Amino acid sequence: MAATNTQSWSFRLTPTRVLLFILAGMAAAIALWRLIVGLGPTTNLNDQWPWGLWIGFDVLTGVALAGGGYSTALIVHILHINKFNEIGRSAMLTSMLGYLLVMAGLFLDIGQWFNFWRPFVSWGYHSVLFEVFWCVSLYTTIQVIEFGEILTERVAKPWHKFFRKIMPFLLIVGVLLPTMHQSSLGGLYLIEVGKLHPLWWSPFIPLFFLMSSFFVGPAMVAVETSLAGRAYNHQVDLKVLRGLAKIGGTLMVIYLALKAIDFSNRDAWQYVFAGGLESNMFLLETIGGVIIPLIILISPWGKTRSGLVTYGALTALGVVVNRLNVVITGMVNYYGPGYIPAWTEIVVSAGLVAGGILAYCFIVENFNILGHHEEHEAA
Amino acid sequence: MSKGVLVDLTKCIGCGSCTVACKLYNDNKFEKDSPAIGENPKLTDENWTIVTAKKTEKDGQPVWRYVKQQCLHCEHPACASACFAKAFQKTEEGPVIYYPHLCVGCRYCMLACPFDIPKYQWEKSFPLVTKCQMCSGKVAKGEAPACVSVCPTNVMTFGERDEILALAKKTIESDSKYVKHIYGEKEAGGTDWIYISDVPFEQLGFRTDVTTTPLPEYSHSFLKYTPYVIVGWGSLLTGMYLYTKRRNKIAQEEKKDVHL
Amino acid sequence: MDKQKARSTEMTRRGFLKMFGSLGLVGATATLAGCSKEPMGGKGWLPQQYQAASSYPSQVRGRVPIDPNNPSIMRDDEKCILCGQCLEVCEKVQTVFGHYELPVKDEVICVNCGQCTLWCPTAAITEKDDTARVLEAIEDPDTVVVVQTAPATRVGLGEEFGLPAGSWVEGKQVAALKKLGFDYVFDTNFSADLTIMEEGTELINRITKKSKAPLPQFTSCSPGWVKFCEYYYPDLLEHMSSAKSPQQMLGALIKTYFAKEKNIDPKKIFSVSIMPCTAKKFECSRPEMNDAGLHHGDETMRDVDAVLTVRELARMIKNKGIDLNKLPEEKYDQLMGTGSGAGLIFGATGGVMEAAVRTAYFVLTKQDVPEGLLNLKPVRGLEGVKEASLDIPGVGTLRIAVAHGLSNARKLMDEVRRGESPYHFIEIMCCPGGCISGGGQPRTALPPSNEVREKRIASLYAKDASYKLRLSHENPEILALYEKYLEHPISHLAHELLHTEYTSRGDKLTAKGSKLG
Repeated sequence: MAATNTQSWSFRLTPTRVLLFILAGMAAAIALWRLIVGLGPTTNLNDQWPWGLWIGFDVLTGVALAGGGYSTALIVHILHINKFNEIGRSAMLTSMLGYLLVMAGLFLDIGQWFNFWRPFVSWGYHSVLFEVFWCVSLYTTIQVIEFGEILTERVAKPWHKFFRKIMPFLLIVGVLLPTMHQSSLGGLYLIEVGKLHPLWWSPFIPLFFLMSSFFVGPAMVAVETSLAGRAYNHQVDLKVLRGLAKIGGTLMVIYLALKAIDFSNRDAWQYVFAGGLESNMFLLETIGGVIIPLIILISPWGKTRSGLVTYGALTALGVVVNRLNVVITGMVNYYGPGYIPAWTEIVVSAGLVAGGILAYCFIVENFNILGHHEEHEAA
Repeated sequence: MSKGVLVDLTKCIGCGSCTVACKLYNDNKFEKDSPAIGENPKLTDENWTIVTAKKTEKDGQPVWRYVKQQCLHCEHPACASACFAKAFQKTEEGPVIYYPHLCVGCRYCMLACPFDIPKYQWEKSFPLVTKCQMCSGKVAKGEAPACVSVCPTNVMTFGERDEILALAKKTIESDSKYVKHIYGEKEAGGTDWIYISDVPFEQLGFRTDVTTTPLPEYSHSFLKYTPYVIVGWGSLLTGMYLYTKRRNKIAQEEKKDVHL
Repeated sequence: MDKQKARSTEMTRRGFLKMFGSLGLVGATATLAGCSKEPMGGKGWLPQQYQAASSYPSQVRGRVPIDPNNPSIMRDDEKCILCGQCLEVCEKVQTVFGHYELPVKDEVICVNCGQCTLWCPTAAITEKDDTARVLEAIEDPDTVVVVQTAPATRVGLGEEFGLPAGSWVEGKQVAALKKLGFDYVFDTNFSADLTIMEEGTELINRITKKSKAPLPQFTSCSPGWVKFCEYYYPDLLEHMSSAKSPQQMLGALIKTYFAKEKNIDPKKIFSVSIMPCTAKKFECSRPEMNDAGLHHGDETMRDVDAVLTVRELARMIKNKGIDLNKLPEEKYDQLMGTGSGAGLIFGATGGVMEAAVRTAYFVLTKQDVPEGLLNLKPVRGLEGVKEASLDIPGVGTLRIAVAHGLSNARKLMDEVRRGESPYHFIEIMCCPGGCISGGGQPRTALPPSNEVREKRIASLYAKDASYKLRLSHENPEILALYEKYLEHPISHLAHELLHTEYTSRGDKLTAKGSKLG
């Protein structure tokens, strides 16, 4: 539990955590090896498939799932819907950790990793990636500073007042930036016209990325609070979760409607039931990840905790599948099969997640995250 | 003005001189398992140009055609627009060149290229993206690219793009054997290397479904909204923040116990 | 203690300096390797002729196309420097490259002569190496490996072992082959004599109108020339003698006559020939060159299984650690190991003509061959096109012409095509100088010099002059062959085993400036 006023740091070492540590350790070792020997020997990436699991899962999916932070921030801190306050901090913490992992994943994926700072000085502003790069790095920085407010409750306490003062500005920018880069991550694929399968390529792909990153927020909160709730015996009020899920659900309906309109405009319905890898994966993502969660939500089951958790899990998985579909499935038709992630890629991805969970546990156990109900003071 | 090269595929005999010249001039390695000529050559980090022997048909007769491939040096290069560190740049003379020291290694250029030209040094610790540089150093001196200068059958004509385009038009109009299409005239919004052929381009492995819209425009159609989003969405967020904050405060003052 | 302390400080200081030194090195490497702000590319070199403004293109540029499936030659791209010399010889000397219209059809036009392997300064272009297949056959105890050696090999091989150009190494070559493990060593000079019998008889039949085939008759023993004619002069193929080349005649006989005489199962014979020629590798792979196989009812059996150039033989000898110079002289195996001086001079331009004339004179006149025909000066030497008119008593004037190098061949062929050729018999050798300077001979000067060619030719003529046996029709083994096996020239069996047909390759290209289109 939150240990705001005790001075000793606590971290319980359970068997699961030992396993997570091993996984994270293996990932770290492989990451080091990769940084020394390069991408060829450590991944299955090749000229045909320059982007793989690390971009598809660690970065694109990671950013989307971490989208819970900004949607919650928007709801809690911008719209000041106070009943959601209690999930504010944990959602934003998950988000920050998520982004740090994304940065780690990106760092491993770029070939000239020592040159990662280059776009700060050499401005390729014609690139969608330029926007992604700036937004993600600024946003991560802002989240770390935002976390400073929580951190200074316990360490470097004199700074706490300062952090509280700048919070409103950080919060506004902290919603603005993700709005931009969540959509630009989709925007990256605009240039894949003719390459990315028409089930995913659309002039509106930035909007679809933005919307899905927003509605995955409540879904992630439902899953995450239930996990944390079980672990830390701290159950978030069902009403709060239900309320959030309703916001997410509304957006999902709009998302589906827009997709339908887009498909009609582009004459893309023919691909939906065409059979084959693309259409099956698309149906999986849409039915399993959007339609079924919506049905759960409107059914009586959707009023129960288990129903909401299932809704959240399915929605989150749907977004994972969607992002991997864009990066991998949607490109198979153009590039041809030729990429299956190497075990090293999978271990690094899993290890990053493991590291994130461990960090989450540590912070939750040592800082005031779960029990925090207050609103921020205005400057 | 932009320089370009007209490749007349009917003249190629498949000797591969161009591939050797490219390796000599750029000091690229010869790799036994990825040849630059033959029936299955591959563009790689060491093969910036390849010549593929295509055993195909024309008028029901079997014919062999040789297809030289290299960067087409788009007029509006997708790679340059995709690079967020300006590692790829289009020079005034035409070549789309690459500055290794600016490259971060994200490989977005490889995804962006409509012709799948950029290749990566996968086996290196600090890999770079590679592709034909159109011998930008030679071109700047008024020399033709290495591959052009060594061709024994004059497959390639180096010159101002508008001049070689006019030449291409004249050639395909005056000789019935040619397919009435100049590949690269409009593909990807126009390329500096253009091709003419007597066998349909799709039979020769050319990507014929390439959009004629310059690819950077796809990104631009999205990025052009960025400033408006920053200003508009930013103001809206601030407004909402201040409004809801004040509303809650008033509500709080009215009902002191409204807070959870 | 003090000493130790002092030493340790010293070590530290040295270590300190070392550390800084290596840090400097690392810095320098980093600067060189990665910190340049130059664009990529252009870090190599190009031959000087290509460093010119685009408006002044180089005259000598590029290289010849080589099909990866070419049976005769191959190229290592890594050694190619684009000097343009292969194109020079192919286009100007052999008139193959650049003499067809573009676009190409469905073949890489090549007559397999291998002259480019002699002109290539870096040996990027070489013969296709068949030594492994031959070694495998030698090592198989169940296989009888029979080898034949072409006339020109014995004046070429020595150069690979430090001997002067044209050195005579016939006996040592036989010894080397035996030492390498070949079971029987026969002489292509023998089948050169046989060629004279068959081809000479054919010529006489044409002259005496016994045959409907037109005059002039062309020699057919140079496979590069034959393929050239099939490409560029397919309309003249009727003029080509139907007689196979000596290599293919001997190949067919090894698996029939020799097998029968020695009672060996022809399926167990692996027939190898040592040739000064890369086109012979192509010739032996021509689909129709399986007459011994057809004779035995097995069409997959080749008359000649592998052809090695002189350079490949030299490599095999060297790889085995054999010093050719120290070998004793050995003799060819009997049955098909005797050749006349006439057969020997097949290796030089004009030699086939001279050999044919000697025998034709005898056959037509039944008189002894006069001294002038034993030293037929007009057809000897390196002049591109040579001609002579010979009075044959009781028959009339025999007009003959000789050309070597395919550019020279074109002159005679265009004449024939125009219907203006005055000749009865034309000898064409694909390679300049004839087989002694064939594409499979040791590499010499770049480009190959006439000096070396002349020395090799002189060596052949000198040996011919020293022989007692100088006439093909007097070769006792030839007489025995006809008596025991073939009956007479152009007999039914001779026709089956020793004669062939030609394929027009006119549809594989559109010849430039050709009147036939």
